[in-house]
Amino acid sequence: MTTASHAAVTAEASNIDSSARCTLSFLIASALAWLLVSGLLAVLHLVQAYDASFLAHCPIFTYGRLGAMQETASIYGWAANAGLAVALWLLARLSGSPLRSLNWACGGALFWNLGVTLGLVGIALGEGTSTSFLHLPYFVQPLLLVAYAAIAVPGVLAWTGRKQSMTFASQWYAVAALFLFPWLLSAAQVMLHFAPVRGVLQAIVEGWYVQSVWYLWLFPLALAAAYYLVPKITGRAIPSYDFSALGFWTLIVIGDWTAGRHLVGGPVPAWLVSLAIVSCALLLVHFIIVALNLRGAFSSGGPVLKFVAFGLFSYLVGGLWDAVTCMRSVAVITQFTWIDQAQTQLALTGAFSAIVIGAIYFLFPRVTGQAWPSATLITAHLFTTVIGTLGLVLSLVVAGWIQGHDLANPAVSFADIAAHTSSWLHFALAAQALLLVGNALFALHFIRLACTKPAASGVSVFAQPPAMEASAS
Amino acid sequence: MSSSNDPRLPQAGASDESLLAAHEKMLGKKPDEQAHYKLLPLVLLFVFSGIIFYAGTYLNHFSGNYDPAVFDEHGHSASGNAAPVKLDPIVVGRKSYEQVCSTCHQSTGLGLAGVYPPLAGSEWVTGSEERVISILLHGLKGPIHVKGVAFPGAAAMPVFGQVPGSGYNWSDEKIAAVITYIRQEWGNKAGPVTAEKVAELRKKEGDRAEWSEAELLKLP
Repeated sequence: MTTASHAAVTAEASNIDSSARCTLSFLIASALAWLLVSGLLAVLHLVQAYDASFLAHCPIFTYGRLGAMQETASIYGWAANAGLAVALWLLARLSGSPLRSLNWACGGALFWNLGVTLGLVGIALGEGTSTSFLHLPYFVQPLLLVAYAAIAVPGVLAWTGRKQSMTFASQWYAVAALFLFPWLLSAAQVMLHFAPVRGVLQAIVEGWYVQSVWYLWLFPLALAAAYYLVPKITGRAIPSYDFSALGFWTLIVIGDWTAGRHLVGGPVPAWLVSLAIVSCALLLVHFIIVALNLRGAFSSGGPVLKFVAFGLFSYLVGGLWDAVTCMRSVAVITQFTWIDQAQTQLALTGAFSAIVIGAIYFLFPRVTGQAWPSATLITAHLFTTVIGTLGLVLSLVVAGWIQGHDLANPAVSFADIAAHTSSWLHFALAAQALLLVGNALFALHFIRLACTKPAASGVSVFAQPPAMEASAS
Repeated sequence: MSSSNDPRLPQAGASDESLLAAHEKMLGKKPDEQAHYKLLPLVLLFVFSGIIFYAGTYLNHFSGNYDPAVFDEHGHSASGNAAPVKLDPIVVGRKSYEQVCSTCHQSTGLGLAGVYPPLAGSEWVTGSEERVISILLHGLKGPIHVKGVAFPGAAAMPVFGQVPGSGYNWSDEKIAAVITYIRQEWGNKAGPVTAEKVAELRKKEGDRAEWSEAELLKLP
């Protein structure tokens, strides 16, 4: 086992990681709790999709509220907590010094999760709004904005106080996500809920918010992790790195022009939808660059790299898919069907979650100074994630395709459509349950590692990595 | 101790410092002065240009002229199939009169004593349709008597019709509208004039010089 030979180089696991243990553990633990809650709600929601009488007598668990709770728990519970934990850790590592003002993040995380809990209770009691991705009741929305700002403080301080003047692609994505989300959330709150715009403009703002949450918040968080993990694990510099800035700016600039993407055929000016379709196509520039830059993820490696590779695969397929399904001739069939759901699942469970879970597998041993207790559990989680996501997405796509064709045919009744898709929804349910089981294993595994006392020699379990050679291309 | 490929302990392949340094070095590359063109940037250039070309073409075809009232990507506005709106000749006439005629004849229709004849109560306006149309179509030069007052003809009436030498090229509809307007304004009480009548006179006279009072008086 090599030890640090020169003092100038920070050890692979240092007090940069261990000093943030408390905050990161809390963020990840809350994220996992919400992941399980949203998984459970998703299972119940899918059961209702083919058996409408299931839990129908109980107002709290009616179809609409259950769906809103599930979406809220997965985005504001799981994705926000986990994504922020990873972003904070990344910014600390790349700044070269421990996170400062961690109390802000701790307090913020406490209030954020309190807000999400209150929000879920509110939705269950019928206080939720009808806005996609922002079902949270009015009374918790400002609280979330303030709590988010507090969580982001150490990340921003790590960015401004970084040791090197140079910046790396991971930092661009992480900082962009930290700064852009408050803008999205506050603009959506004001324009949709506190001083609502009128008429069709609401649908446009809603579409803008949904697309922006993906392209300006969740995807940048995941990409920040991927841009760090791939070269870090493989030890090879990112190929064609000089394109990465173009990839970053295409996402940030064009991303929210896809706002009209789900308004195809709707009562909105035609240019808005045309612009969204064109933006989805232009985003292919971003996806091509990400594929070129991060192709190292698809080389052989440990489970972390496999999680990241699966996440990237989902991300790239999702981008191509978006460019195809937003076209008017395709959207005629796919819009308002299970295919929309499949797309959301591919983006969230596939792209975002797989990369972020990989990052958690990578960072948490460094934060605790311990190895994960079981290799089998990691492999099991990898398999459930890959099989569960693919099974869920594919069965929803088939169900959606059938549903789309049936809906276009006025001779087919709604009851028949439900009957035609029912068997595929059973498949989707099985896949969703598999995902839930895998994530439950992950949560147990996490608890076991978090509860072990940090070993005195914990830092030395990590081999001192070699220096990276700058490659020619 | 764990081996270097223990899945429970994901090892790093490079230190953070060297990772940052290596990537900074790649960004700070010198320009390609010897023209050693790499294939990849060229291929990407073509691919990206293709995507941008598609995007531009699509927007050009399906933007509906960026009209907020166009909901159909093929560019038909919501009211596209409706019949053309019938314009009120009085409204059109007043607008044209205020813009052009009122410079000389004033918005009161009283003209300017000794220079511009009045239109209010003028026998030329409320009398023969043919005479007033002719004056607008081809203009008027020379002295003229209006309401018994002689105007020496210091200022000529310009040519308004769609005839050679016209400075205005007003359509027959517009001329008809203005005449209809002045024939019912300021206490005048004469009937409307149709665009067909204007067109008929325009074709009959064709290419001719400005009228004089004597020539006009020969008209019915």
